[in-house]
Amino acid sequence: MADRRRINGPAGATLPPVYLNEDAQPSDDSKISRTRAANAIRKLYLKTGVTPSASGSAYLEIEAPGGGAVSGLKLSCTVHGPRSLPRSTPFSPHIILSTHVKYAPFATKQRHGYLRDPMERDLGTHLEAALRGAIIADRWPKSGVDVIISIIEGDQDRQTSKSQELGSWETMNALAGCITVASAALADAGIDCVDTIAGGVAALVKDAGDNNSPRIVIDPIPLEHEKILSACCVAYLPTRDEVTNLWFKGDLPASDMELYTQLVETGIQAAKSANLVLVECLHETMG
Amino acid sequence: MSTLAIPGQLLGSAAKFQPGPGTHIHESNLYSSLLGSVVITQPAKAPGPTKRLNKIINTTTTPAELPTISVSRSGVSEKQRETLPEVGNIVLCRVIRITPGQAVVAILICGDTVLDAEWQGLIRAQDVRATEKDRVKIYESFRPGDIVRAEVISLGDQANYYLSTARNELGVIIASSEAGNAMYPVNWKEYRDPETGLSEPRKVAKPY
Repeated sequence: MADRRRINGPAGATLPPVYLNEDAQPSDDSKISRTRAANAIRKLYLKTGVTPSASGSAYLEIEAPGGGAVSGLKLSCTVHGPRSLPRSTPFSPHIILSTHVKYAPFATKQRHGYLRDPMERDLGTHLEAALRGAIIADRWPKSGVDVIISIIEGDQDRQTSKSQELGSWETMNALAGCITVASAALADAGIDCVDTIAGGVAALVKDAGDNNSPRIVIDPIPLEHEKILSACCVAYLPTRDEVTNLWFKGDLPASDMELYTQLVETGIQAAKSANLVLVECLHETMG
Repeated sequence: MSTLAIPGQLLGSAAKFQPGPGTHIHESNLYSSLLGSVVITQPAKAPGPTKRLNKIINTTTTPAELPTISVSRSGVSEKQRETLPEVGNIVLCRVIRITPGQAVVAILICGDTVLDAEWQGLIRAQDVRATEKDRVKIYESFRPGDIVRAEVISLGDQANYYLSTARNELGVIIASSEAGNAMYPVNWKEYRDPETGLSEPRKVAKPY
């Protein structure tokens, strides 16, 4: 869909200038190796109450690994509501949740328009499904709540090459971050939830160099691995031990059910790790 | 005592506490559903047997001797948590427009809290007063701009809460005359303008 109402920047990739004498620049094929353990997520920074005008808000940042070759993830989430519904909406005995996920135009190498593209809609739908299982909707009849997430910086490699087919894997990490940050913002807004919900990603990867069999890692970064075969994003309620949203992507043999379960289990591990940060952050809000 | 609770935190068994605001029950255990501090309220002492029961009260449903556990948002943020009008609440509202059948109002205050969002309410002609309901005329009860104390009787339809003023202490509490002056109540159905001396009909709330 063409956006005729605004002046858009040039379509296509934009790149920051790269100077020759920069030491941090990896010289070879821009691959960095994974230094974390296979069951460790990257470091998270989470803070609630960053937007004064919203009912609740939170900010999430994931560290950038590999000395600046990959940018980290920066998310800002605002929750507006509970507020009255527009007059045209039919009577609802419970709260109506609506979620919006939007990449900032400058968030990734490929510029994003001001209109939501299908991938952003997809993220919003997944986020809504994940949060719907966590909030107690019938506490708030006849009202609506809007969860709006801006992706300020996308999780993406800053190198010139290898940008086309890598892009789709980052949305999994972005969704996991969205779920965690939305949970913190909902708690900040004072909307009843059955639990603190967090997101986690597990992936089946093939590493460079050695030709051993694929392994399962937590919180994958495409640049750190030779190839990502498939990935799975889980939204998990730790106290209830429930999964509210599950998103698989990639190639997996349909016969091997063991592998599916293993990926989900590993995704839950990632979500549990993220939840520790979330609980710590909520404790800080009080103190 | 004030301990912090986060959503999903176990507070205790449902056999030991009664659930208050900000909590929910899952598999006969009480869990917090909000971020806030835990408040345990001991039950008020039951009134002695000297009071004669003139109503049939079902005493078996809620064992009143259990303390109530709730999670309050006070201290978490300086912002007031948004509240919703519920059935039975006393609300203050401003009359927006009147028709022969009903008065449309905007709910401003619910209980003790000022509402953030704009909620619309409706006072139908049959809910204005308790007696002589068929002779109620809306334009003799309310005028646009009046401040009305009313009770929520229903969540209503998609847009409106249904309100009632069918009690002595409910009705118009602040009114201004057609000349624009603030008026004072003279009886249960009249307000008088102190400057022009004219009186206007209203459904007057009995002063406390």
